[in-house]
Amino acid sequence: MDGELFEDEAEGLFDRIGRGTDAHKDWELYHLIGDALRQPDHIHCDLSARVREQMRDEPTVLAPRSHTVKRKVRTVALSAAASLAAVGVVAWMSQQIGSETLPQMALQKNAIRPVSMQIQSRSNDYLMAHQEFSPSTDMNGGASYIRMVSYGPEGK
Amino acid sequence: MADREVDQQLVERVQRGDKHAFDLLVSKYQRKLGRLISRFVKDPAEAEDVTQDAFIKAYRALPGFRGESAFYTWLYRIGINTAKNHLLANKRRPPTSTPFDSEDSESFEEASLLREVTTPENELMSKQVVDVVQTSLQQLPEDLRSALTLREIEGLSYEEIATVMNCPIGTVRSRIFRAREAVAENLRPLLETSKGNRW
Repeated sequence: MDGELFEDEAEGLFDRIGRGTDAHKDWELYHLIGDALRQPDHIHCDLSARVREQMRDEPTVLAPRSHTVKRKVRTVALSAAASLAAVGVVAWMSQQIGSETLPQMALQKNAIRPVSMQIQSRSNDYLMAHQEFSPSTDMNGGASYIRMVSYGPEGK
Repeated sequence: MADREVDQQLVERVQRGDKHAFDLLVSKYQRKLGRLISRFVKDPAEAEDVTQDAFIKAYRALPGFRGESAFYTWLYRIGINTAKNHLLANKRRPPTSTPFDSEDSESFEEASLLREVTTPENELMSKQVVDVVQTSLQQLPEDLRSALTLREIEGLSYEEIATVMNCPIGTVRSRIFRAREAVAENLRPLLETSKGNRW
């Protein structure tokens, strides 16, 4: 009654608030309490019994279901269209990205050579001499030295 | 699920042939609509009849209600038209300058210009109902009283109340329920003793 119901709870709750049940009495009483707090100058007796009495002679109203059904169909159709559009955009984008990157990757693959082939033996001396200026020295301790040693046998 | 959506669900149930769902809407809006109609129809007994008529007209017109506006806005518009037609049928002029518009009807509750419209027979009972509710509210523990006041008088949502009271929403829900039950406990004996009219 405070607009704090979860959507899936509402239908079940309205089914439970049958006429004359405790839940129905609570519904009426809680609204009376709210009205008495908000508008204490205008509290009158319950008209619902009188309205109900008069409604007994009224034919049951039945709205054409088209409103709700149409609205639901429209909602579903729009959701489906939005999903399809999103999938289409993602597919198109992946195609665009794929066609550009593949040749580059192929080129890079050709350019890759084993590191050991590129390193000249004379660079080992240079690296050994400048090892203390390497920024990695402080971080790795002896690790950089171990790497240098590992190139040693190939250079010889 | 907002209050408006709860109303819409009830409306859709009525549109599917569930008359009882309309009972729930009548219980919810009868006093608000009655108060609005009493701005036009000064006689309290007549105002109650016109309120009843307005509900019947609303019921008949419900198949055409599409939910494009809030149910209460639509209902209040029917109420105002019914009141004006009632005055015209009785050769009385409806008020020419109405200080409100049906779109803003919810805010009329704050207006303090309304005169007493309770019927003489029910005046004492009305006063007792209000007294019991007010007294019960004052007797509630502070946290329960604050939660119920923030909800019913200030119209805050549970989330807003949780922020104001610095507590989880579950606690707010529990406090409001306990507060209402405490007030209802005091009210039930009074209502059971009232004969003739249900409250």
